[in-house]
Amino acid sequence: MAARPSRPRLLLRHATLVAVSFVMLLPFYWVMKTAVTNENIYAYPPGIVPRDPHLFNFVDVWYLIPFPRYLLNSIVVSAIAVAGNVVLNAMAGYALTRQFPGRRAVLALFLSCMLIPFQATIIPAYLITAKMGLLNTYFGLAFPMLSTIICIFVFKAAFEAVPRSLIDAARLDGLSEWRIILRVLLPLSKPAIATNVILSFIWSWNNFLWPLLITRDPTMQTLPLGLARFLSYMEDTTGALYAFAVLVLAPSVLVFLMAQKEFIRGLTSGATKG
Amino acid sequence: MSLRQVRKTYDAQEIVHGVDLEVADQEFVVLVGPSGCGKSTLLRMIAGLEEISGGEIAIGERTVNEVDPKDRDVAMVFQDYALYPHLTVFQNIAFSLQYRNVGKAEIARRVAEVAAILDIEPLLERKPRQLSGGQRQRVAMGRAIVREPKVFLFDEPLSNLDAKLRVQMRTEIKKLRERVRTTAIYVTHDQVEAMTLADRIVLMHNGQVEQIGTPEDVYDEPATLFVAGFVGTSAMNLIQGRIEGGAVIFGDGARLVLPPSRYDAHAGKAVTIGLRPEHLHWAKDGDPNPLVGVARVVEPLGSDTLVVFDVAGCELQARLPPRVVRHAGEAVRVAVAPESIHLFDPATERRL
Repeated sequence: MAARPSRPRLLLRHATLVAVSFVMLLPFYWVMKTAVTNENIYAYPPGIVPRDPHLFNFVDVWYLIPFPRYLLNSIVVSAIAVAGNVVLNAMAGYALTRQFPGRRAVLALFLSCMLIPFQATIIPAYLITAKMGLLNTYFGLAFPMLSTIICIFVFKAAFEAVPRSLIDAARLDGLSEWRIILRVLLPLSKPAIATNVILSFIWSWNNFLWPLLITRDPTMQTLPLGLARFLSYMEDTTGALYAFAVLVLAPSVLVFLMAQKEFIRGLTSGATKG
Repeated sequence: MSLRQVRKTYDAQEIVHGVDLEVADQEFVVLVGPSGCGKSTLLRMIAGLEEISGGEIAIGERTVNEVDPKDRDVAMVFQDYALYPHLTVFQNIAFSLQYRNVGKAEIARRVAEVAAILDIEPLLERKPRQLSGGQRQRVAMGRAIVREPKVFLFDEPLSNLDAKLRVQMRTEIKKLRERVRTTAIYVTHDQVEAMTLADRIVLMHNGQVEQIGTPEDVYDEPATLFVAGFVGTSAMNLIQGRIEGGAVIFGDGARLVLPPSRYDAHAGKAVTIGLRPEHLHWAKDGDPNPLVGVARVVEPLGSDTLVVFDVAGCELQARLPPRVVRHAGEAVRVAVAPESIHLFDPATERRL
């Protein structure tokens, strides 16, 4: 274990951390504050403490647009995307840890696919989704986000860290390849699962372009589209808009915090001497 | 169980060259050899974790070349124990039974029975990381025993333990064998482990079997130079010599009498002479084959003393009783019985 740093050093370290945290958290605080006060960001003198806070903006957001519907859509689509990522990426990641003819070619293909931005493939993606009759459906909304190459590599790395003998032992114990993934590899790869959940949730939750493209029906739209629509409704955008932003942000922050806890637990339990 | 001409090839390079081995029911066979000799590969082929490039493996009457590991009815103990870190000891032991349609009550009964045999009952609710090395080793064995397999496979199970614990666990494995009589194949690079545990030893070197025999056979009559050098706590002295008139001559004229008429057919031949340090005993008057020399290195071990000494221009090592030689430079007088002299053909490296 490293020696405990001296007191002035510790103070300095904490001061730095507090300063950085302050810079990071200030915008969030400002959004929250504006959401409950309607105070314009240019208000003078600027105040840290909100004056006469109220929740009217949240009520407006909830009733002016079909906010609950957007929320439901976003939750369903993100849930499908998260489930798809965890299941498909784990399977793909495991396959890549095994030796098979053409493995290097597959790896090269995956890596080169990462170089192509989504915007470049969005038209073929749209055409395929349309052909499959998935326009305006939850599955269609989640479709291009069901698997992410970078997250496949996260699983691959995690599975490779599991000792080879554990997999051999599982095979002798009578487990099929599927059960080896489910009962041995995944329970030992919680950080990788958490990473997959966090990343795929955030990407899906914040996605704007794809839902915009494939939803015709306003009732199928997700929160980011709702936010855009809301912008066009509101004259005085400050308070209500900020309230909307808070409502959009809250679930992803929640998911992150929940998964992060598991993430840290997984990391530390792996770090104890085995 | 039997292996017939079993081969393994990696990238056009053969690393196991046609191994033949018959293992009797309930026999404990130890595969021993230096690292890289192919012993672990052979074990993994028996388990089904490596494909067989040629030959045939049969367990019982059944050829298992194409049989899945899980259907071979073998259980393996791994060098790093391979315990599932996310499961408790109980779950680790019970794990394989869950996939073999064994009822809950039966699982509980069998795990309890195995835990009693291995003395790990208080540990059943712990996770592997809360166990010491020796305890993990027991759990790993429990996981194998609980399956009641036809064959146990051990892949260097003691090599991760410290020296003291290794000796202790070795004894435990030996005790366990008396209670659980099952065919077992045990891989190790430690010749002491091999000698103490085995019914029969299979000595491997460079992917080939050098000798198969009981520990006594292998020690008393090593078939090749390699076996001679590998078996025995202190390595056998190997020196070049020549057979002449019922004796063997080495160095600048030292002479050792051979057992009468045994090597007559080889008269005049150059040979490699093998002398075990423990067979060079302090010479009394009238002993045959006395060798007189000067001690170079004296290593007292307590129970006995290793002495390296020069005789007739060759360096030999002897294991002598304590305190007969104390310092380098003292005179050494040892003798060796004619029956204890091993002779090898230097060209073929085989025993004469």
